[in-house]
Amino acid sequence: MLKKLSRHRALPGFGLSMGYTVVYLSLIILIPLAVLFLKASTLSFTEFWRTVTDERVVASYKLTLWTSFFAAFINLVFGTLIAWVLVRYDFWGKRLADAIVDLPFALPTAIAGIALTTIYAPNGWIGKYFAAMGIKIAYTPLGIMIALTFIGLPFVVRSVQPVLQDLDSRYEEAAATLGANSMQIFFKIIFPAIFPAMMTGFALAFARALGEYGSVVFISGNMPMKTEIIPLLIITKLEQFNYGGAAAIAAVMLLFSFILLFLINVWQWKTAKKQQMI
Amino acid sequence: MNELVLEVKFVSMKKWLLIGVALGFLGLFIVIPLLAVFSEALKKGIQLYFAAFNDADALSAIKLTLVTAAISVPINTVFGIVAAWAIAKFDFRGKNILITLIDIPFAVSPVIAGLVFVLLFGSQGLFGSFLAAHDLKIVFAVPGIVLATIFVTFPFVVRELIPMMQEQGTEEEQAAMTLGANGWQMFFRVTLPNIKWGLLYGVILCIARAMGEFGAVSVVSGHIRGLTNTIPLHVEILYNEYNFQAAFAMASLLTMLALVTLGLKSLVEWKTKKYVNGG
Amino acid sequence: MGISLKEVTKEFGTSRAVDNITLDIPTGDFTALLGPSGSGKTTLLRLIAGLEKIDAGTILLNGSDFSAKTVRERKVGFVFQHYALFKHMNIFDNIAFGLKVRPRKQRPSKKEITEKVMELLKLVQLEHTASRYPSQLSGGQRQRIALARALAIEPEVLLLDEPFGALDAKVRQELRHWLREIHQKLNITTLFVTHDQEEALEMADTIVVMNHGRVEQIGPPEEVYQNPANAFVYSFLGRVNELRGAALRGYLGNTIPNGDEVGYIRPHEIGLNRTLKGSSVPTEVSHVTRVGSTVRIDLKRLDLGHIFEAEMSTEKYRELGPVQKGDILYADLNHIVIFNGKNNTTQPVLENKTLRAAYL
Repeated sequence: MLKKLSRHRALPGFGLSMGYTVVYLSLIILIPLAVLFLKASTLSFTEFWRTVTDERVVASYKLTLWTSFFAAFINLVFGTLIAWVLVRYDFWGKRLADAIVDLPFALPTAIAGIALTTIYAPNGWIGKYFAAMGIKIAYTPLGIMIALTFIGLPFVVRSVQPVLQDLDSRYEEAAATLGANSMQIFFKIIFPAIFPAMMTGFALAFARALGEYGSVVFISGNMPMKTEIIPLLIITKLEQFNYGGAAAIAAVMLLFSFILLFLINVWQWKTAKKQQMI
Repeated sequence: MNELVLEVKFVSMKKWLLIGVALGFLGLFIVIPLLAVFSEALKKGIQLYFAAFNDADALSAIKLTLVTAAISVPINTVFGIVAAWAIAKFDFRGKNILITLIDIPFAVSPVIAGLVFVLLFGSQGLFGSFLAAHDLKIVFAVPGIVLATIFVTFPFVVRELIPMMQEQGTEEEQAAMTLGANGWQMFFRVTLPNIKWGLLYGVILCIARAMGEFGAVSVVSGHIRGLTNTIPLHVEILYNEYNFQAAFAMASLLTMLALVTLGLKSLVEWKTKKYVNGG
Repeated sequence: MGISLKEVTKEFGTSRAVDNITLDIPTGDFTALLGPSGSGKTTLLRLIAGLEKIDAGTILLNGSDFSAKTVRERKVGFVFQHYALFKHMNIFDNIAFGLKVRPRKQRPSKKEITEKVMELLKLVQLEHTASRYPSQLSGGQRQRIALARALAIEPEVLLLDEPFGALDAKVRQELRHWLREIHQKLNITTLFVTHDQEEALEMADTIVVMNHGRVEQIGPPEEVYQNPANAFVYSFLGRVNELRGAALRGYLGNTIPNGDEVGYIRPHEIGLNRTLKGSSVPTEVSHVTRVGSTVRIDLKRLDLGHIFEAEMSTEKYRELGPVQKGDILYADLNHIVIFNGKNNTTQPVLENKTLRAAYL
């Protein structure tokens, strides 16, 4: 009885803009990615399994995973510290410090790569001191970790900063009037509030580190089984025209990244819901 | 009385300790690499610095980088504006899924980004035989580089614009409509001026990334000197040839662009804060 | 003529924000859409403006069917609660906007636009702000500019969505006067939405009382205030005391109150005496407050323990003599109006008591 006209919206242009968005998204992102999974599936299951469980491949998975994890963890700790210092304290040069936090985001990865290698090579600015002590940084997993720390630095800081800024000081004041000391206030009031943001930042830094190529490929030395990261292996397969193998390794990596991305979103959605209920 | 003084001293000691550690970390991880770039570039004197850019291969690398950015950035900017409009100003089911999909290039390794285009357009790729038959080259040629760059810089403008447009709401646009403006007038006279700073920042970020992209382009380009090398790829070549000074000289160009990007971000934040406080 | 709504309905999901409303808004009048949150008044306003699309029914303006026209085509002036001024344009450009976006043929010359804008700025008494930006003006000033901007396109109808909702109490008062003056000068059909019944009673020529997407009553303020059509209208406008159940004993003649009925009496309709008179109720004073030129007394019924409020002028209060907490006073509730919860049945009218049949 009531004729339902097509959903009218106050502002114009919805149909057009949505259409364009979906088409462009499909063309540039979705179809190419689908092709990758398609190619990976052209491998027989045994071939696929053999490729992704090859010794060298497994070594690179392990290396990529643990260096990324530790780099993200370092960023978790120091990133939170940096966010804290930027929000809570005033000091000369604060605005400058705040601005340069984003450098790893804006600087091309290859440049970061060569700069870091130059610094940490055995004859480098910092590397030479460690070389004197017999510690190698460049061309070892340690070097890889340093590069990944650089890359992930802004993520935790920029995740935690806004939350800290928006934190109502009234909660802390209330706690203080009730007799809590500053340690207790930190752990019982501030920390729980920034924990979700810390985790988001960590996950983003981790995800970023997993796929990182440009900054790592110079400092790692690319020794198979020792300092070879997954992206490099993919390139190696490509250069051998082993498209299927490259696709297989990439598919596994993509799946992992997507699951990570999905988990991040679910976590964010859940914590947002929980906080709304408060 | 003494206790109070000690307590205050302890608090301020703690504060400066924390600041010191934080700044130390930043200094180690960010300032030093920055200094390294410029110091290595200028190591052999300023004349040699400029000489690095006179090289034919260097110049063609610069040219290719600029062309790539000149194509991919406007395309992604238009997309960014259109998508942000659809997402920020309307409510619809599946909005979150759409946003997540747009974020995909952030989660994908740049090498994989390059890989997908090789799988599509490479000689063994899906369209490989078609392209060969028509004598079209995408992979190992400029079009491939542009495509890979578009993929990688896809989300930058959208992600800058969405929160901004969402925060501004739709009332000004509704007001414009009641005053008789049509869709385009409303967009150009009301919406666009309100987002101009965020748009500028998103575009600059997009440019910086487009010019600096390494992994994806590396896979797709074929590294043909003088033809399919962008600045970052050229830097890699020079570095691998141990021509450090020239490598860092080229690198310094993009580093300066990165610093400009950072400066612009501060400017945008300052400007938008002005709007938020005032309007 | 004027705005005519016929069987207009709007649904959001499964709920009806506007439920089959048929309404005629008189031309030239200053009409208030009054109701609580969720009553559908803002939705109705936006339907008339074209900012929402109706699901059923028709909207006519001066006889022509507006239902299919877009916002642009309707040429209605709309003033938003939060002004919606274009923050990146100065005041002059804000007001000139509607004129500048007209299609080329209908666009006035630059000179004409300037004249019109300055004329409007003069009307709203803000000539000196022409080159300023919205962020530099106060809330009250912004709303006046928003009005000037809406008037620039010479609309046939002016729609205001809780225009003073975001302003301080004092500013609200000033703007109420001012808006009425403007309306008297221009005589445009004006429709404004408010949840503040005091505002509606003070400003409007006609009040449309809405609840749950329906029109409860429409009429001039005195009519709606003194002869409310049902319990909702009675209780929504002005202050009321509500009486139910046992409290209604004696006011229903021979009928025993069965819980469906509700009785209302306004504080100033309660007579207070020191001595028992007729059927007045004994009460104990629990609180006395002076508000401006009236005195409010909170009273507790000695029989049932309910508390209700009486109000009187300072003169009448003085006649009572000084009243203190704990004093016994006798309250005369004869002006009570009772709604019986059933549709369209009348109860026997008893001495000094009126029963009104209504739907609750």
